[in-house]
Amino acid sequence: MPVTRDDIPPGTLYLLILKTLARHGELHGFEIANSIQQTTEDVLQVEEGSLYPALQRMLIKGWVTAKWGTTAGNRRARYYQLTAAGRKQLVVEVNQFERVMGAIERVIQTA
Amino acid sequence: MKGFGELVRRIGMLFHREQLSKDLEEEMRLHLELRRQQQIEAGVAPNDAGAAAHRRFGNPTLLRERSYIAWGWSWLEGLLQDVLYGLRAMLRSPGITIVALLSLALGIGANTAIFSLMDAVMLRSLPVKDPGQLVLLGTGDEDGIGTSIVDTELYSYPFYRQLQQKNAVFSDVAAVFSMTDDVHGFVLGAEGQAPADSDLMHVKLVSGTYFPLLGVQAQVGRTLTDADDTSEDDHPVVVVSHAFWKHTLASDPNVLDRKLKLGTTIFNIVGVAPREFFGTKVGEAPDMWVPMSMTKSVPPGWDAYKNNFTQSLNLMGRLKPGVTMERATSNVNLLLQQITRGFSDADLSKKNLDKLARTHVPLTPMANGLSSLRREFSEPLRILMAIVALVLLIACANIANLLLARSTTRARELAVRQALGAPRSRIIRQLLTESLILALVGGALGIGFAAIANRLLLRMVSGGLEDLPLDIGLDLRLLGFTLALTVATAILFGTIPAFRATRLHLTDSLKDGRGPSTGTKSLLARSLVASQVALSLVLMVGAGLFLRSLVNLSSLDPGFNRENVLRLQIDSTALGFKDDDPRLRDIFQQIESRVNAIPGVQAASFSAFTFNEGSWNDAVLVAGMPANQDIGVHQNVVGNGYFKVLQIPLLAGRTFGPQDTATSQRVAVISERIAKTLFPPGNPIGRHFHVANNKPENDYEVVGIVKDAKFSSLQEKPKYINYLSYAQRPWRFGDFEVRYTGDFGAIAAAVQSSIHQVDRNLPISNVTTLDEQVARSYTDQRIVAQLSTFFGLLAVFLSAIGIYGLMSYVVSRRTNEIGIRMALGAERMHVRWLVMREILILVAIGIDVGVPAALLANHLVASMLFGLRGNDPLSLFAAVAVMLLIAAFAGYLPAQRASRVDPMVALRYE
Repeated sequence: MPVTRDDIPPGTLYLLILKTLARHGELHGFEIANSIQQTTEDVLQVEEGSLYPALQRMLIKGWVTAKWGTTAGNRRARYYQLTAAGRKQLVVEVNQFERVMGAIERVIQTA
Repeated sequence: MKGFGELVRRIGMLFHREQLSKDLEEEMRLHLELRRQQQIEAGVAPNDAGAAAHRRFGNPTLLRERSYIAWGWSWLEGLLQDVLYGLRAMLRSPGITIVALLSLALGIGANTAIFSLMDAVMLRSLPVKDPGQLVLLGTGDEDGIGTSIVDTELYSYPFYRQLQQKNAVFSDVAAVFSMTDDVHGFVLGAEGQAPADSDLMHVKLVSGTYFPLLGVQAQVGRTLTDADDTSEDDHPVVVVSHAFWKHTLASDPNVLDRKLKLGTTIFNIVGVAPREFFGTKVGEAPDMWVPMSMTKSVPPGWDAYKNNFTQSLNLMGRLKPGVTMERATSNVNLLLQQITRGFSDADLSKKNLDKLARTHVPLTPMANGLSSLRREFSEPLRILMAIVALVLLIACANIANLLLARSTTRARELAVRQALGAPRSRIIRQLLTESLILALVGGALGIGFAAIANRLLLRMVSGGLEDLPLDIGLDLRLLGFTLALTVATAILFGTIPAFRATRLHLTDSLKDGRGPSTGTKSLLARSLVASQVALSLVLMVGAGLFLRSLVNLSSLDPGFNRENVLRLQIDSTALGFKDDDPRLRDIFQQIESRVNAIPGVQAASFSAFTFNEGSWNDAVLVAGMPANQDIGVHQNVVGNGYFKVLQIPLLAGRTFGPQDTATSQRVAVISERIAKTLFPPGNPIGRHFHVANNKPENDYEVVGIVKDAKFSSLQEKPKYINYLSYAQRPWRFGDFEVRYTGDFGAIAAAVQSSIHQVDRNLPISNVTTLDEQVARSYTDQRIVAQLSTFFGLLAVFLSAIGIYGLMSYVVSRRTNEIGIRMALGAERMHVRWLVMREILILVAIGIDVGVPAALLANHLVASMLFGLRGNDPLSLFAAVAVMLLIAAFAGYLPAQRASRVDPMVALRYE
């Protein structure tokens, strides 16, 4: 199995995608990537392609659904939308992230 | 249910993979294009924009791959790949594959089939309540009807009643008539009208306690109860079997309103037995059960209900809880003495009292039911089971060898794949998959083969008659076991080399696997081949013994000429006459004379018995000689032409003729043995004797002496046979024999139409030849001989394949060495010998081990052999010779190939 070379661990990627979709409703892959970059003001360098395997996994887990639609430029694109399970997962992911970050912060501050 | 939803989505993805990957493709293309446009809009040169977009996107192939993995079916695709690859690899060497599959199929199939039959005949419990509590009086080794002071196997009905009342060890006792009455009865229509044609019905007489004792409930109506068995001849009721209800009564839902006519009596159907209930005798399936009280009304109308000393019943009891076999045995034996002595008509002469005092009845557990089949076939089945188990071993050894050989020839391929980066686990998985495919395909073929073999075996056991009613569904336990064994073999020997091959000296293998030959591998292969040879030899010797035994048996002189005799059975009870009605005799005589007139018929006669058909035994009492009641003389009632039909030579006097009539002096023709041992010295002709007892109507005058003939089996010593004429001693016949010349089919048709010209209603059955009937008496021997020969040859064939495979492998490994030898001047002959020598050494080792093993094993089958011993040198030498010949042949091809090696080619090859 190929070794992942993501700068962002997959878990965090889920969080970012879930949050982005929660904010914007329906988005296609390119829009998700753009949105993440704009929001983070290009701090996070995501390998854009890695969105797609992550989206496939999220489809299987039932966090998102996808349907085909047309873009503003009148092209066919697949739009992703959060499901109820996806919303729950977002809460779980955020909590987990905050717990981890909090712990790390405490380590840094005591130093 | 979260996991479940995920599974459903995954499976959905499996079926829409095409679409999904197309979608993913489109999505990723769109992304790249949008990014490129954005770059151009941001002022990047169009040429660089695409590259920049790709850079930011990452490796699309890798991403695609990871998306597929996300779907979770990559293992399936990998497996599919392995399977396809494995199938291709198998097809590349179709010879090896076919042999491996065939040996697996035959090994698994034969084992399963024979075990299933063995299970049905010997091992399975009766489908009744708590069969473990049932015991039988005696051993179940005898059927029939007799009259004596006491018998350990068969009992009278009054004895059964007394035992039932007086015993302290059984919760109940039941009686079942030891024979089955085959009646041509009529199924009356719904309005009670009789049909034109009769049906053959197998009727079992049982005591009223039979069904309650067994705990068997009717599926429709009721079973028989003790109330049906209280007084003689006024309970015309019958319980029919499930099969009879289904086939003959077309599953009539109003079956309880239907009636049957057996003989002259109309019986009411009161119930249908459950589907799985076939009675208590394995290999028999009565169509119906009738209470013992009706015995006189069921043709042939045995008089077995009231006579204290007419023994015809098997008795069985259900042990009370906590009663041991010992206690039951002693109680039964105590009662046997008391009850027998207590009968008012007991003949308590000194001789009888002595006999009674010596009598001891053993009890036999009858959880598996009674069976005459078991007596005949348990030893053959055990032998066959051992044989097929050995064949399975040989087949496994063969598969091991084939897989070993193949993996060595594939060492280079595996090395290349490994060098190209295939992980070791992947290659092992690949080989494992291939072995599994082989084992599973072989297993599937084996199941198919078992299903066919099962039917075939049943037909063989049935000996050419209608198939025995045995439930021989494939035994799943054994099927599972043999499958597991072969799959394990395939996996073990298919993957051991895989581990070895993948650990390896890559470079050696890349050099075409001709590095230093690894000795251990061929040592394993060699010992496999040597043990195959040894096992095959054992089987061959066995086959030789059984074949020779069969030849000995079938060439025995039965004392009559078995060739060119047609025989059939009629059921004269269907005519509804009493035994001694002169009209019956007239019909027999008319049939004999009509058939005699058919062109091609030399003689025709009725007889009570011909061969291997049971017997009527009674003492022959000669005035002036000590009366020996213990010698049961076979009594045969025959027509005038009988001796001409069977060609039993007349030694003195005359045979029966038209002068012997109902009113003339009763006469008898005796066998040589009777003349020599039961009569005083001097010519017996003209002397008088009595049959059974000294009543005047049993007085006979000897008019002729004939040569001894076999009566029940070919192996028996000459029996005492006394022939009587049916003109003087009325008999309801079954057997009719015709000596003929010409075509059997034409004669058979002509004989049957002649019989029907005399009486249209006479049912005819079992039209066959005397030769067949004699052959049927050693069906068990024939089956063992045929099957052991088949499996013996199969074993030798498998071993030959093993030898061939091993030597081909050895030769290919040594091509280089052989090339050098030949370049240095070795002769082709010498090279050939080099290879042949290896084979001969292997075979010699195999024979060395095989011969003592064969001698040991054949000791065990001595009781199945006739006219020779287990250490028969001819069979042994023949087996060794066949083994050597086949081994030499199998080894010759690779040896020949070795000798044709072109030294230059061999040396340059590297």
